[in-house]
Amino acid sequence: MGRAEYKVKGGKLIRVQLTSENGIIRGIKITGDFFLHPEEVIEDIEEALRGQLLDEQKISSIIEDVLERKQAVMLGVSPQDFARCIIMAGEKNE
Amino acid sequence: MNEKWRLLDTGLNDAFYNMALDEAIAVARSKNLVPNTIRFFRWRPSAVSIGYFQSMEEEVDIKACEGTGIDYVRRRTGGGAVYHDMNGELTYSIIVNEDHKLISRDFQETYRTLCSGLVSGLSRLGVPAEFKPINDIVVHGKKISGNAQTRGMKVVHQHGTILREVNPSLMFKVLKVPSEKIRDKLIESVEERVTSLNTILGRDVSFSELKEALIEGFQDSFGIELVPGDVTDFEENLARRLKAEKYATREWNFRR
Repeated sequence: MGRAEYKVKGGKLIRVQLTSENGIIRGIKITGDFFLHPEEVIEDIEEALRGQLLDEQKISSIIEDVLERKQAVMLGVSPQDFARCIIMAGEKNE
Repeated sequence: MNEKWRLLDTGLNDAFYNMALDEAIAVARSKNLVPNTIRFFRWRPSAVSIGYFQSMEEEVDIKACEGTGIDYVRRRTGGGAVYHDMNGELTYSIIVNEDHKLISRDFQETYRTLCSGLVSGLSRLGVPAEFKPINDIVVHGKKISGNAQTRGMKVVHQHGTILREVNPSLMFKVLKVPSEKIRDKLIESVEERVTSLNTILGRDVSFSELKEALIEGFQDSFGIELVPGDVTDFEENLARRLKAEKYATREWNFRR
């Protein structure tokens, strides 16, 4: 399992716990002191990321798509920040 | 004539009931059973609350909590872990319809507007407080209040803390620190980053004095009249149920 944490400058902290195999995300949990509305969308984001390639651009755009589909907004973090922390956790796992 | 909102002062309760009652008021508001509401409350026993997205194991030293009789609970709002000292802190909640003129679609803007009531209240006490994005209120750059918001059922719910006095060593007894070696450093850094009413004013500020000032601040900034009221039977029953079925459960508190 790989773990990483990333503090957004002027923003919030993101922590990721991740298991991956051959560059594919198997399990993921994103925690931190950020804001995401509606809150339940965090589970949609995690669900959408399972089975996806550990590619920063791709991950970021998947998260953007979920936010758009669910009409959700983030505060103190961005999809790019999530993607960055996920990649960091992936590097520790591989 | 100013519009009337309900003022609740629910005194000292445990963490699970406190969080359950906030949600129950939001549900009651969404069903139009109660008016827009501002609530003051405190925590007995002292407690730690964590943000919706945080991990209980990562943030809270469960053994230390259990050893000192401190409750721990997950909030329905995002944000960080907070130590709520029974005598050191006042907590407030604002529950207001989403279509109210104070509410913007923009969360950041709404934090600023709702926090302006607290800023105005604190300034009445002679505390030069300012809103600091994203969700803090600071005095001379040091944090005195943290706030968190959620929306659902067409209702905005914001709650937050106002520090009367700070106890960083107790705070770090129950909140996890990255390593024991840096505990003292963290305590020092809290003293540099966080302040309290008693520190700023150099005297003991009572809860009733603080509440009076905040009531005036809210009334003035929001253009409202706060009318003291009671928790309704609907809210009380729902709060008891939400406490038993959600906020006091391991499933909720350890879900992330």
